[in-house]
Amino acid sequence: MRDLIDGLLNTTLGLGAPDWLVSLISYVAIVTIIFLVAPFQMLFFTMYERRAIARMQDRIGPNRVGPEGAFQPIADGVKMFTKEDIVPAGADRWVHLLAPCVVVAPTMLLFAVVPWGPGMVPVDLNVGLLFFVAISSISAIGIMMAGWGSNNKFALLGAMRGVAQMISYEIPAVLSLLAAVLLAGSMSLVSLVNLQAGLPFVGMLAGIDLGLGWLIFTPVGFVGAICFFIAALAEGERTPFDIPEADSEIVAGYMTEYSGMKFGLFYLAQYILNFLLCAITATVFLGGWQFPGVNWLYERAISPANPAGNGLFNVLAGVLGVFAFLLKTYLLFYVMIWLRGAFPRLRVDQLMHFGWKFLIPLSLVNILSASLWVACMQWGAEQGMGAIEGWSPWARLALAFVLTFAINLVGYIALVRIQAPTRRRPSRLTGSIAVP
Amino acid sequence: MSIQIQRGKAITVDRRTRKTPMGQGLLRGLGVIWKHWSASFQKNDSYKKIQGTFTIEYPEERRQLPEAYRNMPILLYDEQSGHEFCTSCFQCERICPPQVIHMTQAKDPATGKPVPAVESFEIEYDACMSCGLCAEVCPFEAIKMDHTFELSTHDHPSLTVDKTALNRPTTYYAQIAPRMWEEVKENAYKKLAANMKRRSDLIGIAPQMQEQLREQLARAPQAEPAPEAVASASTTADDKAARLAAIRAANAAKRANSENGQAAQGDATQSADDKAARLAAIRAANAAKRAAQQAQASEAPETAPSESASPADDKAARLAAIRAANAAKRAAQQAQASEAPETAASESTSPADEKAARLAAIRAANAAKRAAAAAEKGQEE
Ligand code: SF4
Ligand code: SF4
Repeated sequence: MRDLIDGLLNTTLGLGAPDWLVSLISYVAIVTIIFLVAPFQMLFFTMYERRAIARMQDRIGPNRVGPEGAFQPIADGVKMFTKEDIVPAGADRWVHLLAPCVVVAPTMLLFAVVPWGPGMVPVDLNVGLLFFVAISSISAIGIMMAGWGSNNKFALLGAMRGVAQMISYEIPAVLSLLAAVLLAGSMSLVSLVNLQAGLPFVGMLAGIDLGLGWLIFTPVGFVGAICFFIAALAEGERTPFDIPEADSEIVAGYMTEYSGMKFGLFYLAQYILNFLLCAITATVFLGGWQFPGVNWLYERAISPANPAGNGLFNVLAGVLGVFAFLLKTYLLFYVMIWLRGAFPRLRVDQLMHFGWKFLIPLSLVNILSASLWVACMQWGAEQGMGAIEGWSPWARLALAFVLTFAINLVGYIALVRIQAPTRRRPSRLTGSIAVP
Repeated sequence: MSIQIQRGKAITVDRRTRKTPMGQGLLRGLGVIWKHWSASFQKNDSYKKIQGTFTIEYPEERRQLPEAYRNMPILLYDEQSGHEFCTSCFQCERICPPQVIHMTQAKDPATGKPVPAVESFEIEYDACMSCGLCAEVCPFEAIKMDHTFELSTHDHPSLTVDKTALNRPTTYYAQIAPRMWEEVKENAYKKLAANMKRRSDLIGIAPQMQEQLREQLARAPQAEPAPEAVASASTTADDKAARLAAIRAANAAKRANSENGQAAQGDATQSADDKAARLAAIRAANAAKRAAQQAQASEAPETAPSESASPADDKAARLAAIRAANAAKRAAQQAQASEAPETAASESTSPADEKAARLAAIRAANAAKRAAAAAEKGQEE
């Protein structure tokens, strides 16, 4: 984007705009686009979810407003805007007011590092993943503020649950992302996507680039993806981890005392966060915009590596890349809905149990496999891997594959065994009582 | 698909509690949802299927209601004779748990004795709990449960429903509950035939049928004296007669119209029509006069006992009567006036005049009717 504006202002129009002006204009444009896209994603997601979950429950879902209910989200938005804004008596007015903003702002910030297509990333931070993880946790503060500021025990309970859940599931999320970072050797989301070119299972080894060398096709990536996705469910407060807003237990959790557009902001933040979590999962483990043909198109387009390309290919690669990226994101969101349709909510203790005793060990095992994978694929004699120094890349790949697969499988089975509810032996006390 | 269980035989129910280790249970749950999701794109029209969408999109699509579906009670009348089945036996009023049925029995105006027919019948739909006991208990199959359920309204008092609104022809009921009506039909008609013998004049005739019947009577003048003779004993009968006359006038005017329409040319027929119109107007005027007399007559005894309410009513009645008379007079004048130039000269202007005459006649008839109604009201008080 910056290059584009630069080219337009300085080369085409010959204005000789200073560097800072080009940056300013380009980032304002990017932010505008993202701020336009994000709410529409949210609107689409609410509709998508309601229709999909309805189908899973043998219903039809909202289909009265507009063709097939397409304007239902807009009607909901109008309703939100026109509702009365109620601040409960005894609430901390400022905290109550600020909480939705504190929740929404970080989710919008997260868009900064999401690569939408080849060369289409707002900022290619070299610590993109770190940024994502760090900023997404800020909304926990907003949730706590909402719970505290509402002067309501349900809200406070919900907020405490929410914060506890977010903090616990941050760890497996980070650990499973760490495996991907090990493989890529970088925290930049762009380089993670670039890594996933090539063919399934073998990556770029075969020299053919179909844009399908997704991490999820490797044992490390597979376990990592599942761990991260589960942790993402918990962070996005999706069923079965929607404990902070468990309607049947604590009304609506930290949102209990919110109405009108403040509630709407929470809602917005939640769906945008869900979108982003799906997007990050797609980016890190499903190759982001990688898709057959995207790289081929992008090679012929104007890019820093190839300034003499054709602008048309930029557009084509962009469209196809964004299409692939959104397709993966929407499919992942479908999985979220699917899980919501299938599973009931966990209890708080089950949530903690699952997170700390299962997900974290599993992602630790996954990190071990990831390290071994890297060792097998890249290390030589200096790093202590002299035994496989002379092997062909194919043999090293096969070794890495088998090794990581075995480790992950054994790790999973062992964990499941440990976690399995042990059959209770009949206690001597109760056993002696003769039941007529 | 019913389960046959032999006596004394133990059956084991497969509750699918076998162990599903390693997250297989989760996957199976997802599988179930997937099946539902993929099947939801076709319609589930059989209740044996557990998958598929079975939504009926209500305002557009409606389910066939079962015959025995019951919502609010309605009254039945026979659309041939116009007679209501209800005999005012008070069974339904007695059984109704929330006591929302109210009725008065009709009395023979001549003898003052109760007749097996209902004078007024009211049900408070807003408090009715749709129990259907009234329909169960009615020995004459007069009250039945309706299938209409879209009764929501802003207007609470409109939910107290009177006889006119309750009445439905038997064909309606036969349509919503054909088999249930078939079962009781014969019995109902037998009892109705017996009751009809004890009803005189228009007593027991459904209000919506009364107009029609009167018109029938008006069209057959030979048959008409009978009710008049019966009615002449009481003052109400006179009112009725007045009304009848008015109706006759209206009919005559109508007939005149239709004839006009048919006869496109020819002064002779036109003058005949005019004559008919004039006649109608005169008859209407007479009716109005009679109504006025009655009003006065009814006023005479009233002024003594009733103080506050009746004078106003009487005044209204008198006023209406006078107005009706005036209208009638005007109509007559108009008719004459219109006739004069017509017969002398043009044919082209005549239709308009005729129309005016017709209008006048109708107006007169209406006025007469109103007067009669007012008179009746005055008498009641
Ligand atoms: S349905 Fe029941 S409540 Fe309603 S009028 Fe009949 S007896 Fe009364
Ligand atoms: S509706 Fe039936 S039960 Fe009720 S008064 Fe009339 S005849 Fe009797």
